Amino acid sequence: MFYQTSLRSFTLILFALGSIYAAFTAEYFGLEILTEILILAMVVLALDLVAGFGGMVSLCHGALAGVGAYSFAVLGTKFGLDPFISMLIAALVTGVISWIIGAVCSKTHGIYFIMATLAFGQMAYSFVFESSYLGGDNGMAGISRLDMSALGIDLFDARQFALLCLAVLIIAYLFSWRILTSGLGRSLVGLMHNEKRSRALGQNIVQIKAHVFALSGLILGIAGALSAQHIMFISPNLLAWTHSGEALVIVILGGLGTLIGPIIGAAAFVLLKHEISNYTDHWHLVVGAILIIVVMSGARGIYGEIENRLAQKRRKSLVASDVELNKDR
Amino acid sequence: MKKTAIAAAITLSALNISVASAETVKVGMLLPYSGVYAALGNEIEAGFDLGLKEFGAGLDIEIVKEDSEADPGKALAKARKLVLQDKVDVMSGIVSSAVAGALRDFVHGAKVPLMITNAGNDSVTGASCSPYISRFSFSNSQINRPMGQWMYDQGIRKVFAMAPDYTAGHEMIDSFKQTFEAAGGQVIGTEYTPFRKTKDFGPYLAKAKTSGADAVFTFYAGGEAISFVKQYDSFGLKADLPLYGSGFLTSPLYVKAEGSAAVGVKTVLHYVPTIDSEVNNKFVQEFQALHEGRAPSEFAVAGYDAAHALALAIKGGANDRASIASSISKVSFTGPRGAVEIDPATNNIVQPLYVYETVANGEALTQKVLAQLPTERDPASGCSM
Amino acid sequence: MDLGFWILQLLNALQLSMLLFLLSVGLTVIFGLMHFVNLAHGALYAFGAYVAASVASAMGYWAGVLVAPFAVAVLGLVLYQFLIKRMRSSGPMAQVLVTFGLIFALLDITRIVWGDLALALDVPELLSGRIAIGSVEYPVYRFFVMAVGLTALVVLHLTLTKTQIGAMIRAGVDNDKMAACLGINVERLFFIVFCVGCALAGVAGAVAAPLLSVVPEMGLDILIPTLIVIVIGGLGSLKGAIAGSLIYGFVQTFGAVFAPQLASVMIYVLLAGVLVTRPSGLFPAKGG
Repeated sequence: MFYQTSLRSFTLILFALGSIYAAFTAEYFGLEILTEILILAMVVLALDLVAGFGGMVSLCHGALAGVGAYSFAVLGTKFGLDPFISMLIAALVTGVISWIIGAVCSKTHGIYFIMATLAFGQMAYSFVFESSYLGGDNGMAGISRLDMSALGIDLFDARQFALLCLAVLIIAYLFSWRILTSGLGRSLVGLMHNEKRSRALGQNIVQIKAHVFALSGLILGIAGALSAQHIMFISPNLLAWTHSGEALVIVILGGLGTLIGPIIGAAAFVLLKHEISNYTDHWHLVVGAILIIVVMSGARGIYGEIENRLAQKRRKSLVASDVELNKDR
Repeated sequence: MKKTAIAAAITLSALNISVASAETVKVGMLLPYSGVYAALGNEIEAGFDLGLKEFGAGLDIEIVKEDSEADPGKALAKARKLVLQDKVDVMSGIVSSAVAGALRDFVHGAKVPLMITNAGNDSVTGASCSPYISRFSFSNSQINRPMGQWMYDQGIRKVFAMAPDYTAGHEMIDSFKQTFEAAGGQVIGTEYTPFRKTKDFGPYLAKAKTSGADAVFTFYAGGEAISFVKQYDSFGLKADLPLYGSGFLTSPLYVKAEGSAAVGVKTVLHYVPTIDSEVNNKFVQEFQALHEGRAPSEFAVAGYDAAHALALAIKGGANDRASIASSISKVSFTGPRGAVEIDPATNNIVQPLYVYETVANGEALTQKVLAQLPTERDPASGCSM
Repeated sequence: MDLGFWILQLLNALQLSMLLFLLSVGLTVIFGLMHFVNLAHGALYAFGAYVAASVASAMGYWAGVLVAPFAVAVLGLVLYQFLIKRMRSSGPMAQVLVTFGLIFALLDITRIVWGDLALALDVPELLSGRIAIGSVEYPVYRFFVMAVGLTALVVLHLTLTKTQIGAMIRAGVDNDKMAACLGINVERLFFIVFCVGCALAGVAGAVAAPLLSVVPEMGLDILIPTLIVIVIGGLGSLKGAIAGSLIYGFVQTFGAVFAPQLASVMIYVLLAGVLVTRPSGLFPAKGG
């Protein structure tokens, strides 16, 4: 069950403030990193939605974001549509494809589910790589950003673009919160805990899984479109399975099933990667080692661990006060 | 080691210019230092550093390194950082053609000179050329163009072609096909294998064998080249179906891993360490002294010549983006490859090409130059600057 | 295209299948018994290839092929003691992630120890050359690979069906708690199976090295094909491993013959197709 606890809200606000602070104090590369974190945070948020609350560990989320990116790029550069409309259509396209994948894979579980999603992700990758219409392995250039000049915002300025990404991330978070507290979300969590029971209660498993996967896909579509706008260039590389693997690592690093945890994880991961690569070319080793340590110490992730410790403390103090109260009986 | 600027040890201490002054020329090196292309990135850098040591003595050059990871998105972010934050005067590097494509518009718009030291996509000095982008390595078509006529002159009439299925593979084969067929030959079959997904070439080699060709012409590089050459030999095809190709197939960087399978393979490339010239012999000796006896490869020489060109430009008075860009387009000198220059019409390098055969030299493998083909200049093909 | 061509392709398919079988059988049995997918299996394969190449350059091919499985088994031992054992009680996802982290770590360790340049491992004199089958000539070494795979299949099959330890393993796969109740030292069984699985990965690496190239990313490259094989075949069973390997080998090879552009996608379409119709693979150890 998902509860937006005060700790989670606090962390979210802290993250938002931190991002705003960084946006106004960072130099150029700092803004690039910030934008990278914010877009990645959207992807891992979408992944936590299905993995943390639905038990559906997906290895195609990176590829789906890539689908969003390519849809946006094609609509913009080949059809000349307005970026805002393109973003909406890209989100819809990704949502529909995600629905199909969620529905098709709904009967598989565990490692089989992971592999099934991997298969679809790889199919998307191969399709894009081979397609000369989509630029093949050369990728597509000439992608433009949203035009918000009517509101006086110039998105070609790195700082303003970063702030836009922050705004979209917060909206995505609120959207996910809404989903999880709705009937669909609660059914999903119930399904994750005991699928047989859900089925016995007469719930439509396939639909629940597919619907949530689709909603997750909407977020991914937007994230992909923003990613395309950020770099203003896309290549099939975006759909490589290693990105989905990375997203999974981040979700665990941050805290599976907490919704805010993965966002923190994204920040930690990107910053860590950049810091380490300043010292060595072998940052894979360090990241691998850290992941192992995190998982072995309980796999609760950074935020998950904090939440856990605080909960334990509260429990202890509750028990203590309970003992206090009953002392004289 | 990377982000912090490394003052390349070419500044004579007497001049004591360790503080970046207005005269310092800042170079942004964007190469893959991790991932699949790390070996190439390090090799190019080795050549570049040696070049600076050789030709940049006394010049005030500061290098800032960034890892492109051969990922277009990440490379573009790092390129923006180098240009907008570190404010480099010139950028160098780029191994992957996809990265070159990603960077092109940015570099052109920001008016920062970029000296490409590997990426071979034709379009970078063709339809997407820019007065700011110069290339010191090769273009995919350039390398293979003269091979068509040369192979025809050897008596070969029917060729089966194979390459990995991505832009470079297509460009290399197409360029060979054009000249070979113009000379009167026939490419009777072409197979494009899934790029970097093919480990076992058995199925394709079987097709080549039954095609009835006189010879096979291929382009493969890196790990795929090693697998391909070894498997070609294991099927015993070389006797009846000699193997030809682009020199990357048997590059000195990794030919050792191919072992005796590489013997007898004839390829065309813009550089081999056995080119017999005073300039090259000196280059090879110095390189070997620094790298445990390992001979330099075509990747190292690209870095070396780029450094040479940069040094020439700076000595000629260029010290900012605009002046470096215009000077680089006009360089010409004699390097380890021979006489080279940048063609102002495309900004691609103009260089001689060498057909060589990989031969055994005791336990080791070496390259025997069979022919030096005339200097190859790319046609404009859509470039207008 | 004559009969010779088809025989050639058939042999190619078999050889690829056998290589994949060597890799996947270790992984699938480990899963069947310990319910944990060791994603680092690819890295172990790469380690085997590197060790074989290093040993072979000093002492010849056969020394390399014999030392490699031991070296990888030792590495497996170390990993088991310090990592896997502690993860036994965690959920499967945690185990998958630990091994995912291992992939990264081992990849860079390989780069650090052996450098970025490719290594060489030549086919031994005894196995170089070709055998003529009718009108075609097929490399002896590829027959050797098939032979190694077949031997492994036969030995494993006999062990599992005819020996006591095999019976214990099968019992453990079926129901490890019950097996423990019956007095079987399941922990020790896990340990043995894990080390054997690692050794098999080492053999696969050593045997594949002369054919393919020995580069740092070889582990990552082989991981997905291996996973596809065991998922299509069904986790935990020998039958599944051989079925998956054959399917993959034949689809890849004949796909390459008929439609190389589609070859890379075809296998994924097949994977998705199998999972949709048989969500637990074709021959899983524990029923659908």
